[in-house]
Amino acid sequence: MNDAHAGERAALYALGALDDADAAALEAHLRVCAECARLVGEAERDVDTIASLQTRRRAPQELNERIEHLLAPAPTRRMPWPAFAAVAAAFLVGVLPSAYLWERNRAIEDAMLSQSAAMDRLAATAHRTVSFRPSSVALAANVMYAPDGSWYVIVVRGAQHALQVAWMHDGAQTMLGDAVPHGGVAMLYLPKSHRMEQLALMDGQRIVAQAQLPY
Amino acid sequence: MARAPGDEEALAVAFAAHERWAFARAYREYASLLYSVAYNVVRNSEDAQDCVADAIARLWRSPSAYSSERGSVRSFLVVCVRNEAISRRRRQSRRLRLEERLAAMPVEHQELDAGDPIERDRVRSAFAKLPEDQRAALALAFYEGKTHTEIASELKAPLGTIKSRISLGLRKIAGALGPDGVDR
Repeated sequence: MNDAHAGERAALYALGALDDADAAALEAHLRVCAECARLVGEAERDVDTIASLQTRRRAPQELNERIEHLLAPAPTRRMPWPAFAAVAAAFLVGVLPSAYLWERNRAIEDAMLSQSAAMDRLAATAHRTVSFRPSSVALAANVMYAPDGSWYVIVVRGAQHALQVAWMHDGAQTMLGDAVPHGGVAMLYLPKSHRMEQLALMDGQRIVAQAQLPY
Repeated sequence: MARAPGDEEALAVAFAAHERWAFARAYREYASLLYSVAYNVVRNSEDAQDCVADAIARLWRSPSAYSSERGSVRSFLVVCVRNEAISRRRRQSRRLRLEERLAAMPVEHQELDAGDPIERDRVRSAFAKLPEDQRAALALAFYEGKTHTEIASELKAPLGTIKSRISLGLRKIAGALGPDGVDR
């Protein structure tokens, strides 16, 4: 079975339509056959295209912590007491602040990756800019967007915590994602396939700013 | 989230080399997508979290599971997590008695659950444009997580025919939904 090429099973595998034994056999084959790995990779991209259009939910913090724990380096062997005490002291004076900075750097790195994608769009494509009208709180926010509605970048200055971005249409709100502040600026990049004429920034259930987007 | 091509390639190379930072970065970048993909199959948060964690753990223990020929790390992870979720749903389904299974069957396919109504309509429209035989086979695979054997039995068609219908239908629908298929 391991010698059998993927053929039409590539699509079945990517869709999850093989039973567990067939899927395991194909996975074993993919480890030794580059051509079939390419074929399955194409089918995986097709499934990703459909799956990505389904409802999005934010990953719970418990899950993030589980994965972080899973990928953490394995602990080394137990140390004798004097060595342990020395390491504990070093931890208190050195590693704890470093861990804080590492965590902070990681968040900054994530924000930079997101900003990089948005900057690519802003630099390469003609776009429009509209300011949000704040209702009560003091914040400054803009939305930059493609005239064909294929992407939107929402930037909020002065946000103390994450704000939700919603599309207001037909008397309904569709939640699009969170603008999470890093270094005083919150940003959300939204690749889309359609025009949205009214966006709102929400703090929980409260609308704190709205923007009308002309086309 | 779109990424610069260089970033994607660097991540793929490091992911194939089983580097810890690449796994961590890939998870951070696609966490919500992976969780959502699992949730859309198993329909509860606890199981969805288990699916993501089990899939990542399995990959972390299998150094050669991903090779750069496979292409996109993101799509690879989406399929790994989705397959984990489908396997879990099948195991749970087998444990249910027949009448419970009938009651648990979705009345409508979950494309109706897409958050953004415009995107939901795109998916629905792309499915509607498929020939009936391809649409039925693909919907049973994608939305109901059935195996090709089950689909062949349900649609009363030979296995080879079902494989072809699913394969063709998947290419067509992804073509219609992908960047080149956007109808503006």
